[in-house]
Amino acid sequence: MRRFHWRVFFLLLGLFPGRCRAAASLEALPEFLRPDPFGGIVAPDLGGTRLRSGLYDARHRVALQGWRGGYASFQLVVKSPAPAEYSLEVSLDDPTHSIKTDLFREWFHFIDADKHYFPDALVPIHAPYRSRLPDPDNKIDQQTAQAFWVDVYVPPDTKPGILAGKARLRCGASTVTVPLQLTVLDRVIPAEDVVTIDHNSYGSSFLAEQYGTAYHSYSGNWFESDQFFRLIHAYHQIFYEHRGIMHQLGYGHSGKVGPEFAPVLAGTGRTRHVADWTLFDRHYASLLDGTAFASSRRGPRPIPFVYLPINPEWPASYEFWGEPGYEAEFVNVLSEMERHFREKGWTHTNFEVFFNHKKRYMGFPWDGDEVRFPKDLNYFLEYGHLLKKALPTDSPVHFVMRADVSWDMEQQFKVLKGVVTLWCASGGILSFYRDAPKTLRDRGDVVWYYGGPPNVTQNAAAITEYPLRAWLWGVNGYVHWLTVAPGEDPWFHFDGGGTVLVYSGDRFGLTEPIPSIRLKIQRNCLQDIAVLDSFKNREPLESLRTEAAHRFNNSVLDDWWNPRPPLADIPSDQWEGSAIDTAMEHTNKALAPPGVSAWYNVHQYALQLTRGAK
Amino acid sequence: MKTIYLVSLLLTLATLGQAQDNPDATSTIRQELESAARVATVMVDGDVCQKIVTPLAKEYMFKVDPHDEWLAGDNYDVDDVSFNITKKTLIRLSHLTSFPSDVNLWLPIDGHPGKIEMVIRNKNEMSQFWRWGDLYQDMTPQMETVLKTGQRVTVLGRPGWISVLAPVYNSLGDIVGLIEAVSREKMDAHENVK
Repeated sequence: MRRFHWRVFFLLLGLFPGRCRAAASLEALPEFLRPDPFGGIVAPDLGGTRLRSGLYDARHRVALQGWRGGYASFQLVVKSPAPAEYSLEVSLDDPTHSIKTDLFREWFHFIDADKHYFPDALVPIHAPYRSRLPDPDNKIDQQTAQAFWVDVYVPPDTKPGILAGKARLRCGASTVTVPLQLTVLDRVIPAEDVVTIDHNSYGSSFLAEQYGTAYHSYSGNWFESDQFFRLIHAYHQIFYEHRGIMHQLGYGHSGKVGPEFAPVLAGTGRTRHVADWTLFDRHYASLLDGTAFASSRRGPRPIPFVYLPINPEWPASYEFWGEPGYEAEFVNVLSEMERHFREKGWTHTNFEVFFNHKKRYMGFPWDGDEVRFPKDLNYFLEYGHLLKKALPTDSPVHFVMRADVSWDMEQQFKVLKGVVTLWCASGGILSFYRDAPKTLRDRGDVVWYYGGPPNVTQNAAAITEYPLRAWLWGVNGYVHWLTVAPGEDPWFHFDGGGTVLVYSGDRFGLTEPIPSIRLKIQRNCLQDIAVLDSFKNREPLESLRTEAAHRFNNSVLDDWWNPRPPLADIPSDQWEGSAIDTAMEHTNKALAPPGVSAWYNVHQYALQLTRGAK
Repeated sequence: MKTIYLVSLLLTLATLGQAQDNPDATSTIRQELESAARVATVMVDGDVCQKIVTPLAKEYMFKVDPHDEWLAGDNYDVDDVSFNITKKTLIRLSHLTSFPSDVNLWLPIDGHPGKIEMVIRNKNEMSQFWRWGDLYQDMTPQMETVLKTGQRVTVLGRPGWISVLAPVYNSLGDIVGLIEAVSREKMDAHENVK
């Protein structure tokens, strides 16, 4: 009889996953120590265990320091060795209620290749948040820990000082409290970033794929719905809120243009003209006048850069290439675009004439992207000529020709001077040409370099290397080549995230993207760089950079450049890809891989300068 | 051989048995594409087509280097004069249809029997056969039929798609390639915008 009773008891425990049968705990972690779902730290971040103590003050409070006009972040981990229901809330004693605390549930992605879980996607939640362990949605067998990302936003007009707060976990009858203390620093993070971080994407079909609920439940043409355009704007908004920008390329390698990226054209030859701006304006108007960002904490601001749909097949038909009809069609439509933009007052954005096609995709006989064969530059020169014909010299609208360059960049910098003014360069090859950024910027050009997001299997600080390199090099920005492609099943069979920094919220009932830990870390890094750079009035920029590089990975500025290789003196169409790798050996050897503490150390340097300034 | 026969048989059955959403529309598309393809055989200059892909591109097309993933693609090059002449002709041929269509150029690869390369694509980015991003691929049985016999072949392989394959001749009378006149019943405005 007694045995029977025990059986019933255990059965009931299994059926009703408990209020809180065992001691639950609440732990705070710094942003760079990503938890796993079993109470540990993911392997790549283990080297940063000293960061854990750095989060707390002498009275064992979570001690946050935040500049005004930005965010301070940390993580909370709810742990319970047995299944349990719990609730979590975070509060700050802010009498003005101006400081905002954003809470996110961290999603643990299972990496097939690695067979481990890594947190990355951040699901927005509201406090008090109630759930249970194991998390019913994440479905991890034997899960004993659930992590949360906490963003504390300090508006620019907050009064400097110290605020107390707490994180509170309730689990059954027990309550666990972690005290917090936020020090609002006097300094305001500059609103303008010194490094532009771009998040690139291609087309719009990914939206239909990733927001199946919205797409399939819509009865009409979803690609012309308000919901569709709101979703596009939501992508711009999330990147903007994280101190970044977004690009969305609107045409394919053979010149097919997505309808929402271009005005409708009519006529042919000398009669070619814009027939309808409706979809274009629905897509771009609020982005170009800034009203799409009206509710942003950073304030409304027009997007600084945007791709135009211009390609060899639009607005002029390639059928007429090299003939008067091509010029007529191109000039007619470009002139109309300039007029339309001017009349709308869209004068704060750089409208990019950018050729993305490669001849290997069989659409056109020259490479627009990453020119390897110097003869292809003639096409750029011709488009430069056409643009000059189309655009008034005194136009307040900023049209720029952009080129993404690698092999032949050194020649292109010379041959296309005055034609191309926005350069997006392969980081590896740009590292051969140390003088190039200054030369280009001195003549008014904008210089970015490109790469891709680090996988989540790299340490948490890995993403900070890209903005830092841009700042150390003195270029204007960095482009993540693809940031919206999470793979087929990011939730349970993740590919590592090398092409994604924001995820679809569809799974969580949201028709908008949700951020990632890597995006948050990148944003905080950009805040730090903006602050560091703001000290250049007090200290030489070179010494700021030198110290940041030292703290990051014990490097000196020379380590971030390669010597100009002999390869650079032979025509680029004779280069071999493997030889480029060899030419980058210096940086590969000199630059130690950043440890997980790398950016924490740079952040401490920025705080130290702030204290010194005071 | 047996495999090729079975694949051919299955493709033929699929072609014959393909249920179309709108038989009238399908018939119109098919007729107009066949007409365009017939004209293409007359108008596309095979000698010019043979000059498009450069010797360098051909030399590297099948090379593999474990240290250089993009070796073949990075060395892909074309003679732009021949390319432009042919592309303009293909674009004009697509105007022969009353609906959006593409006329693509495919060329077999010397020294690599059974392999074929898409050489020119066009602005609607349609093809029933092209594997996106591949420099070359296996020839389908229908392509082989066109190249061997000079007959036009209509392919209804993918639901709603229609392609007509037709031979391209050079001045010696050799079949040196084929065109794919292609369209579909329902256009997808966003496909391949990437």
